[in-house]
Amino acid sequence: MLVRFAFRNLWRHRHRTFVTIAAMGLAGSVMVFYAALMEGMLFDSKRNAISMNSGEIQIHAENYRRDPDLYKRIDNGYEIVTKLQQEGLNAAPRLYGFGLAAAGTSSSGIKMSAIDVDYESRVTEIHKHVMRGEWISKEAPNEVVIGRKLARTLGVDLGDEVVIVSQAADGSMADALFNIRGILKSVSEEVDRAGFYMNTDTFRKLMVVPEGSHEIVIMPQDHQFNTLDERLAQVKSHAPGLEVLNWQKLLPAIAEILEMADASIIVMILITYIAVAMVILNAMLMGVFERIREFGVMKALGFSPWQIFGMIMLESQIQVILAALITMGVGIPLSLYYAEHGIDLTQFTGGFSFGGIALDPVWRSLLTPESVIIPVVMLFIIATIAVIYPAIKAAVIQPIEAIHHR
Amino acid sequence: MQLNRLAWKNLWRNKRRTLITGFSISLGVFLSVTFTGTGDYGYTNMIDASATMGLGHVTVEAKGFNETPSLDKRLKNSEKIREQIITLPNVSDATVRIMGQAMFASASKSVGGSFLAINSATESEKINLMIRAIVEGELFDENDGRGIVIGSIMAEKLKLKLGKKIVYTTTDINGEIVGEVARISAIFKTGLDEVDGAMVLLPIDRVRKTLGYTADESSMITVIISDQRRAEELRDQLTTMINDPETEVLSWQQTQRDLTGLITIDKTTNYLSQVLVGLVIAAGILNTLLMGVMERTREFGIMMAVGMPPSALFRLVILESFWLAIVGLIMGVMITAPWYWYLLEVGLDFTEMFEEMGGYSAGGVLIDPIMHIRLFKESIIAILSGVFILTLISGLYPAWRAVKTNPVETLKTI
Amino acid sequence: MRLSRQLLGTIFCLLTVFIPSHINAAIEPPSAESVERAREILRSIDDLWRGDSSYAIFSMHVKTEHYQRSMQMEAWSKGKDKSLVKILKPLKEKGTASLKSGKHLYSYLPRTDRTIRLTSGMMMGSWMGSHFTNDDLVDESRMEEDYTPAVTFEGVRDGNDIIEFALIPKEDAAVVWGKIILTVFAKSLLPIEEIFYDEDGIETRRMSFSDYKVMSGRELPAVMRVTPTDKPDEYTEIIYETLELNVDLKDSLFSINSLKRRR
Repeated sequence: MLVRFAFRNLWRHRHRTFVTIAAMGLAGSVMVFYAALMEGMLFDSKRNAISMNSGEIQIHAENYRRDPDLYKRIDNGYEIVTKLQQEGLNAAPRLYGFGLAAAGTSSSGIKMSAIDVDYESRVTEIHKHVMRGEWISKEAPNEVVIGRKLARTLGVDLGDEVVIVSQAADGSMADALFNIRGILKSVSEEVDRAGFYMNTDTFRKLMVVPEGSHEIVIMPQDHQFNTLDERLAQVKSHAPGLEVLNWQKLLPAIAEILEMADASIIVMILITYIAVAMVILNAMLMGVFERIREFGVMKALGFSPWQIFGMIMLESQIQVILAALITMGVGIPLSLYYAEHGIDLTQFTGGFSFGGIALDPVWRSLLTPESVIIPVVMLFIIATIAVIYPAIKAAVIQPIEAIHHR
Repeated sequence: MQLNRLAWKNLWRNKRRTLITGFSISLGVFLSVTFTGTGDYGYTNMIDASATMGLGHVTVEAKGFNETPSLDKRLKNSEKIREQIITLPNVSDATVRIMGQAMFASASKSVGGSFLAINSATESEKINLMIRAIVEGELFDENDGRGIVIGSIMAEKLKLKLGKKIVYTTTDINGEIVGEVARISAIFKTGLDEVDGAMVLLPIDRVRKTLGYTADESSMITVIISDQRRAEELRDQLTTMINDPETEVLSWQQTQRDLTGLITIDKTTNYLSQVLVGLVIAAGILNTLLMGVMERTREFGIMMAVGMPPSALFRLVILESFWLAIVGLIMGVMITAPWYWYLLEVGLDFTEMFEEMGGYSAGGVLIDPIMHIRLFKESIIAILSGVFILTLISGLYPAWRAVKTNPVETLKTI
Repeated sequence: MRLSRQLLGTIFCLLTVFIPSHINAAIEPPSAESVERAREILRSIDDLWRGDSSYAIFSMHVKTEHYQRSMQMEAWSKGKDKSLVKILKPLKEKGTASLKSGKHLYSYLPRTDRTIRLTSGMMMGSWMGSHFTNDDLVDESRMEEDYTPAVTFEGVRDGNDIIEFALIPKEDAAVVWGKIILTVFAKSLLPIEEIFYDEDGIETRRMSFSDYKVMSGRELPAVMRVTPTDKPDEYTEIIYETLELNVDLKDSLFSINSLKRRR
């Protein structure tokens, strides 16, 4: 009976009902969209920081990071990689070396990175980050991919020749001629300025490093980096005597910035909720107080306070359900659209980096279950809280008083 | 005028509703002030801090130096141009510098890095982060002396202390490799590893001699201005003033792209948040006004029946929203003022938090651990007009609804 | 550092003479008299080693923590600032060459057939995997300009009649060392040992000479060995196999074109 009453009331005040639902629905959609945008930004920064180059966990020989030299190697790199893969973690071995690259009259210091393409592509996404040309390939052992600032310093473009000189592990002069296969987008200051990517086999021959690796980069197969301690322990068990670090330790500045961003996003979302709560509160208060005469009449006709209370609650819940449907109906497609197309900031800024990690100038949203569920749940909670006070007021009011109520 | 009074009265016929709506508007003002204020303050702070790291707000340099810096790209007449720049309004400082790469060696080791050759007479800690960050010793005062100021990390790597010598090797204008010796007159510690480990300050005249520059040549003139927002304006002004195809004038947006990027993304987030919150608040205002109109259809019907033209009715509702905006703004100022004052004067202290994280930098710029707030005049105007426009726009639909009232129809209903 | 010149084939040009005294003995300010006397002796050492040009074949043995390698090289020098070194063995590196002309240092890489001029950033890098830096090679022997010499000991030490010099870099000299201690035989003025210290008086590397024999009509040390003090197990040793002084060399030999030429 109450349900029927509730529906009838809503229908009787259909203009008001519609406006209330629309306001709540709009507020809800904004919350979903906003949450998705923020999730997207966080995710992108994290992905750029982690998937681009550093991976979730890295293994090095002790002290390699502090003082990188050619000789501090992980001897059984491939063994460790194989073991980790059996346990469901993707891993890729890498080698590094320093040298000088020269083209024409220009020269520049470089950091050579030797990549095993088959492994690397399952771990990081640097291969997707080529600005021009293509990523290195095993079919082209004498072709390299370099950072964008390096390309500018050397004055080289795709197909051009670059000579590199370094000192091989046996003390001999290591020199080789390479062709530029690709030029990277902005990755990080270091890679932009000195990044020089080549195939592992090429590097081994050039630098006379027949075995071993300097670094093993690890990524969970689902690319969901949450960096559990157990995973760190799991990796450690396969790398006795080696240094095993997660990305928070590898990129402390990024981890801090993300933490800060996380905190400020929560603040921003809270603020948005407060604004939304104000709107809903207003709508609910108006919806009830302006009908207080009506409730007085109902009481005079013999409705109990509980029935009035229940009816108002029901009305509000019906409205919230409809508002939630709008929220989902508008917020989800909107977020999905921007997940696909993104907000293009290129006109304001070219590729840029944020605390040392390059960000994509196209800002995409990311629709996670939380970014829908939390706003919808909040909608219900806020609406319910907002309606309790007027509902009680209406339930306990004396008919006489109600009729004089303005 | 009468319409105005009527609108005001109407607004207070339902006090609770008006106050709640007014409060939501004031919340909007509050948020807007906080967001915009931290932005205005924070960006200025970051831009100004970054300007002291070498490149200033505006730089005058030889063409192409910014893209591919090299020591053979020289700015001629730099001292004369500096003299001219410093007299311009809004320019608070200008100084001539040479910037280049070098190897730095001690008996035990050598490291690569870059140097900033400065004129100690025109430099100060106000415009140079590294001078500000000196922890030991003092800046050299002879411009052709053998002083050098290095970072704490480089000192550690080279195993050098104050007063010890350091040999630097670089390439002069003829492409010759040249070496010089210098003695450490001061050590700085900025907290930025890439600065402390690789940047040094050298006396400019000594470097000119070493590189083969004339007394009038340099890499750039770094200009510091009092209001960072005028950088691009000054850039254009200087470009016209110097009018030399071999010379390039650049603003910080061009020379410090990382910072520009960081600020852009932060601004975008900030504006987006404000727009979205504004949208929600607008929905609230619309809700209030629309309900107010719909309740009064009868009333409007009577008014129209007694000869009130629809346009006056439209104006009445718009005026109601106007007064609602005024009420909201007054409430907004009341709740925002103390908060603004607090942030302006005292600020939120994040020192402890930053210490835990071991210093905090973004886009290569150190961030002040105490968060302050500051609003540019333009921002205040933007916020106020934003709230007004929002409220007035929200009033349009209800006003249109009111005009649509059919007097005969409304009077029929009970 | 002077050493470099010798390395490049000219055993003579200036000298680098002098014996280590007790290692950490602080240097007292030398008296004017001892400076004058030191200059005199250094000048005669200079004369002793002077030669306009040279041709040499030498082998270089390098031992580091990570590798050990031996090379045979051929070297030419003319005047103070021209020298050319080519690798003869091992075959893999045959043809690799370094040319020093004035203050420039070029490397020719036969595998890629490219000539690279070394930039300031590479000067501190190792030369051919040895304990010499590229900078050691380029550094002019500016002994007299850069250092104030003083005789710190004359007499018999370890059964040899020796002279010990302390070379203190001048204030403005672009020299990383705090001082160099050089020991020579009093009679022949041939070098025995050269020790490099940093500004705190801590030894950083040591160069010793041995196997004195007559080459090209002069008695000279045929073996030179450099040891970094913090890694006593490492060394670079240069052994002269052939040395001809005052040979007729054309300037064109020391050009970038001749770097590529195979002999």
